[in-house]
Amino acid sequence: MSGRLQVGPLELEALRRGSGRPILLIHGVDPVNPKAPFLEALARHGEIVAPSHPGFGASPRPDDFDTMYDLVRLYLDVLDALPGKAAVVGFSFGGWIAAELAVAGHPKLDRLVLVDPVGIKLGGRDERDIAHFFNTSPAELERRAWHDPAARPEGVYGLGWQNAIDERMSDADMVRLARNWDALCLYAWRPHMFNPQLKHWLRRIAVPTLLLWGGSDGIVTPAYGERYSALIPGARFATIDRAGHHPELEQPDVFVEHVARFLGSGA
Amino acid sequence: MELWNHCENPYPFVPAEVLDEAESVRASLPNRYCDPKIAARLYDEIFDEYRLCDDLGINIVTNEHHSGINNLWAASPVITGVVARLTRKVRILSLGTLVTVRPDPVRVAEEYATIDVLSKGRLEIGFVKSGATEMVSGDANPMRIREREWEAIDLIEKSLTTQDGPFSWEGKFFTHPHVNIWPRPYQEPRPEFWAATSDLPTCAELGRRNIVNTLLFGGYDRTRQAFGSYKEARAAAGMPAPGEDRFSYMAFAYVGDTDEEGLRIGQKIAWFLTVSIKSAPQFAKFQPGNVVPEMAPQAWRAGVSRRPRPTNLDAEVLIGQGQMFAGNPDTVVRQLKEFRRRVGGIKHIIMMTRQGLVTHAEAEASFTRTARDVLPQLQGLPPIDDDEAAWEARRAAAAK
Repeated sequence: MSGRLQVGPLELEALRRGSGRPILLIHGVDPVNPKAPFLEALARHGEIVAPSHPGFGASPRPDDFDTMYDLVRLYLDVLDALPGKAAVVGFSFGGWIAAELAVAGHPKLDRLVLVDPVGIKLGGRDERDIAHFFNTSPAELERRAWHDPAARPEGVYGLGWQNAIDERMSDADMVRLARNWDALCLYAWRPHMFNPQLKHWLRRIAVPTLLLWGGSDGIVTPAYGERYSALIPGARFATIDRAGHHPELEQPDVFVEHVARFLGSGA
Repeated sequence: MELWNHCENPYPFVPAEVLDEAESVRASLPNRYCDPKIAARLYDEIFDEYRLCDDLGINIVTNEHHSGINNLWAASPVITGVVARLTRKVRILSLGTLVTVRPDPVRVAEEYATIDVLSKGRLEIGFVKSGATEMVSGDANPMRIREREWEAIDLIEKSLTTQDGPFSWEGKFFTHPHVNIWPRPYQEPRPEFWAATSDLPTCAELGRRNIVNTLLFGGYDRTRQAFGSYKEARAAAGMPAPGEDRFSYMAFAYVGDTDEEGLRIGQKIAWFLTVSIKSAPQFAKFQPGNVVPEMAPQAWRAGVSRRPRPTNLDAEVLIGQGQMFAGNPDTVVRQLKEFRRRVGGIKHIIMMTRQGLVTHAEAEASFTRTARDVLPQLQGLPPIDDDEAAWEARRAAAAK
């Protein structure tokens, strides 16, 4: 189920499920969890390939690999390595990577799904578009990131993961969470979770694009999502009710329905 | 031994109920709770204390922290510049400006060179890694701050010592194509460097670089271990053994007329530990880079029990741990000699006296007693591995 993916000199941890056309998942705060409730259903629509970014999970991070620039080049390499045309699905921070990737363009990238992505600055200079991942209290992060924190799937974390720490959590899970948090910070502390230039270049995205947004997302609001969507030529925008920043975890069936319909459409 | 006065210029005037309610007393406590008129009085009082120390022969340390009740020295070079003009004799250590937060080490070097010139060579430059709420108030990435600190130190050193510039720097964290500071420092080749750390590999690197190693409240064992790491690294590199002047230690200190007074007023310093370090988990144990991932389970589980903050750090307990020197002058001399012996030799003791709820008058009284009755007893001490009584006998015989 989990395996490795050789990308240039890097051997990444990568989760694989299903078969058929590649569906490349670009993860957000944490690598795609093998227990994530959307995986089985999504795997009926293609072969899921979900690498862990360098520094996350069990993927190594070379010393000088520490910017969004590196991540985008890495995922261009990943697309090179896939057997055919691929749909790219990016979540949160991974949605930012996916948007950058689509702006850069790759002949194998033919569908793009952005799920509550960060990555651009839209509001005024004294407005915060994206809740601060690192400086916000765990309780507040959890409140903003989840429609119903109590319904968080067991063993799957997302933003506000600190509040899930209890006596039952394994040391291995804690070490992974710490690695993920460190790596995310390295890549995205400043400017916090956006590239000031990206907004101007979203017009270059030339593949059918769907933006999915948790209706209750308080990390990046649906209003931000609608404006994000409007900057991408022809992009569709849809919200998922009763979900926050991680609709794939809170409403996995609805999430997969949306993605499957989009992948199956002639758009 | 040499004694140094370090005051953090704390602001203990925010109502307790506000502090109890706040998630953190640093970084996120709104500055409406800081009355600038009170702050102005504090600056006056503490600069007066520094002038007194200049008369008394007690050296001065400044530092900086940001956005919190613990420290109103928002810019160590600014404060150090003021101290340089207020004083005439003593050494001045900036410990230090936050080089992991500041974007351009060249400017730091230039500010320090300016202070060195206007103090006519009395400046010492200290480095601190920083972290926690300072990363938030300074919007500095908390990851890789140790590597950033070392590169900043290297660039500052080259900026201070290059006299045939401009030179170019294209490092991992800093770039500057045209480095050429004016004025250059008064001292040749540069002011002494200090660094505050108890991290053993970092202490070893300080040893190899001959930088003064200071610990903050490390207690006996950790301090001895840190200095050991410093010494071993030099031995391994084939370098001469370091003198005691390479070692420094900061602790709470209060010298009273009596032991009772020393302890009673010393107890007021503990506010620093009981109130002024309250911080939110996102600024502390959950801040990226706070611990290496393998240590996270230990660090995070410690918080599961949600233990209340310590509120009764007893002065005698702190003294027992080597984190406070307090009592009458003779008692403090005994404590300091004992500390020197147990850590294997040390020249510099940094006294944190005007801290917490200690008043201006109380601080000045302690400094006066320190200079009159403590400092003289700490001069001409026997070598650390010698027997003190035998050494005194030899010295008396030689004097005849």
